[in-house]
This record gives sequence, C-alpha cells and structure tokens, in this order.
Amino acid sequence: MLPLHISASSGVPVYLQLEHQIKQAVASGLLQPGDPLPSTRRTAADLRINPNTVARAFQNLEREGVIRTVPGGGTFIASLNGLQSGLLKTEKLRRLRPIAEQLVVEASQLRVPSADLHKLLDAALIALENSRRTRTPESSGEDQ
Amino acid sequence: MTTYAIQTENLVKTYGHGRSATHAINGLSLNVPEGSIYGLLGRNSAGKSTTIRMAMGLARPSSGTMRVFGLNPAVDPERVTVLNQVGFVPEDKALIGSSPRKIFELNRSFYPSTWSDSLARKLIARLELPLDKAWAALSLGNKTKAALICAIAQRSRLLILDEPTTGLDPVVLDELLRILVEDCTAPIANDQPRTILLSSHQLAEIEQIADHIGIMDRGRLLLEGPLDEIRARFLRVTVTGENLPRISPSILSVKREPHATQYVLQHNPELFLSDLRSQGATVAETMPLSLNEIFLELCRTHDHAEDTVDFGAAR
Repeated sequence: MLPLHISASSGVPVYLQLEHQIKQAVASGLLQPGDPLPSTRRTAADLRINPNTVARAFQNLEREGVIRTVPGGGTFIASLNGLQSGLLKTEKLRRLRPIAEQLVVEASQLRVPSADLHKLLDAALIALENSRRTRTPESSGEDQ
Repeated sequence: MTTYAIQTENLVKTYGHGRSATHAINGLSLNVPEGSIYGLLGRNSAGKSTTIRMAMGLARPSSGTMRVFGLNPAVDPERVTVLNQVGFVPEDKALIGSSPRKIFELNRSFYPSTWSDSLARKLIARLELPLDKAWAALSLGNKTKAALICAIAQRSRLLILDEPTTGLDPVVLDELLRILVEDCTAPIANDQPRTILLSSHQLAEIEQIADHIGIMDRGRLLLEGPLDEIRARFLRVTVTGENLPRISPSILSVKREPHATQYVLQHNPELFLSDLRSQGATVAETMPLSLNEIFLELCRTHDHAEDTVDFGAAR
C-alpha cells in the first residue's frame, strides 16, 4: 500500500496532492527506484477518487521523470540518477521559487528572524538525509 | 473529439398552463462527456430530478432537446435502445418486488447479456444488504442499497444515480464510493468508456470522485465543466488599497471590511490580481474555494441577482 491520503477540504487539487505525496515518498526513501505502483484504478478505488485524476497525476510524474511506465507491464519508480538531473538549474529553481516565497511570507507573518529560518531549512535537510539513510539498507516495501 | 453520454439543448419542462405554469426546467443546455463521473448539483427543486427523468424517458420535454447517446429517450423505439444501456437509481428508490432477492431476479431477466451475478453477490456482501427481508420492512438506507445493486450489477454503459446516498451511513457511503470507482468505470466491451451521472447534496463526496460538475438553479445551469478547471477559476482573496474596483467580470462577490476588502473571484483570478497590484493594492491572502463554498457563493449570488435589479450582477 502506498502511504497516500487525500484531503478534500484543503483546496489543493487532488492530482497535485498525489504528485506531492509520491515525490515526498521518493525523497524520503519510502519508495525506492524500481518499486511498483498500483494501477490507476486500484489507486483511485483505494482513495475513493476519480481514476482520471490519478491518471493525470501519474502522467505529470512521468513527464518529470519521477516514475516510468512499461507498456503492458505497470508503473514503477524511476531511477534516481535519471531523475531531474536532466533539468537545467534555472528550471529547478523556478519550480522551487513559489514554495520559497510562501515560506518567507509565513515566516515574516510569524516574525521569525532570517537566521532562524535558515536553521529551520538546514534542520529539515538533515532530517530528510537521515530518514533516507535509515531506509536505504532495508529491502523496498512490499505492495499488496 | 469529445462525445457525450447526455446532451441537452435549450431544454424546457413546464408543468401546468397559463399563469399557474411552473418552469421546472428553463432553457437547460447540459453536456455530460462519455467516460466522466459527472456530479449534478443543485438545491431542492433546482430541476435535477426532472432532468434525469427526461433522460430516462419518464417525462417529455416541453421544448428543446434531450439526447442520450445521441438518441431521443422520449420516443420508441429509441427509448428501448437508451434504456438497455442505462442503469438507473430513481430519487424515491421505489422498486417492484416483495424482497431484494425477488427484485434482483426480476431485474436480471431484463438484462440477460450484461447482468453479472458475481458482481451482484459482491455488492450485497460489501453493502451488507439483507436479501430476504420484506421490502416494506426495509429501512430507507437498505432500499437505497437494493436500488444501487440493481443498477450497478446491470453493468451499463451509463449509470444515472438520483440522490444515491439517501439514508446511507458513513461506512456504507465510503464503500459505495469505492464500488463506483472500482466497478463502474472500467470499460466492459470494446474499450467503450462508461459514464456515471449522479445528483447529490453530499458535496464533499462528489468533490472526491467527480471529474465534471454542473451546478443547477431554478431549472438552469449556473456553471459546468471539468472540476479542476472550475477550482482554478475560483479564488477568495483579501486585498488592501485605495479605490478598489467593485465591478469586473472577475468578481463574483465583494465584502468590504474596515481594514481590507474580500473578493470572491470567479474568472481569471491571476490577471485580476496582477491588475490590482499594478494599481498599488496589496494582496494579503489568497485561498482556494472548496466545491461547497463555490456552490454556496454561486447560489447566493444568483439569488441576489434575481431579487434585486440595481446590483451590478457579475454574471
């Protein structure tokens, strides 16, 4: 089972929620390259969402190189070295900019000084690195 | 090319004559794409059930056209072709038979080529329906389940569900959503897409499984389209600044408060906001709207536009 969950009340489009959660599972090492994903309809039925929405999320993830589809053979997590390394640095930064802007706005509203914000970011990076390290040795999670 | 399971054009349904005439449907042009899960939303007596009844050939349009798979369900023999391809749960869940088992046996004989016993059994178990209880003694929820199983086991090309959640508890409702996605969307024959049209007041559930919606009010369509596109069009924003506009095609509603102005935008929100910013306004907050909020805003604004004439209606 994928650790996916949908919040209908968040206002964030469901396909974006899916994309984000799968990216997060890959970034944290919960999903490893080569891990199979359940089919579009299976995922949709498990989450009680529209199959076209899942298909849209999977298509976007495939375009970004996060997953790959083998015709007639299912969908898998793509290998990490192929992932995103092909993107230009400017494009990578362009994708991150809105999230950075949002973070800065929230921080200024909470009156968090710049130094603390940098520390927070460093801590999050370290936490992600650690979770990746603890997961890597074990075999990839089984899907039912 | 998009093909449509149901398409209406300038559909009108009037009950009664002369001054006492009621326009249940008043110029409705509806497009339900094949392969979609389409949520038809509206307040009580918005015209949802009347529209559905005309799609099933149970009522005749006063004027305009109703087409199901391009056929006219109001005339034979086209009606028979339509009904053979449609599974239907009526609003009142009234079925003929002494118990669910008898009802299923009867229904099965109508659809010998598509009816699936194994699917029916699976649905009975999943929805926990007592099979041999007398129909009259069944609760409303159990009648709804029986009507749903009848329609779904028929494995039709189009499933029309009028208020399919009546009387269902949250656990059964959740199971129903799963069944609709799992068993009612996968093509059965020749990759032919399957379509679900459901009318409901359960907006949160619709928001989850629908990919297209139509919002009706007083026999007309207020809004129709892919749900993702509709969500992207609507935005609630809080703005501060001088001389903020009151009227624009983008604005659905405006609320002025001492410190800031709150807009609900219904069209091109990004363009509207960049215009505001270039005029020196500050956008303090932007919030997407849930389907429930979009529905409430639209119905309220529509009420207002009909009741008072002087307000610069945004429509």
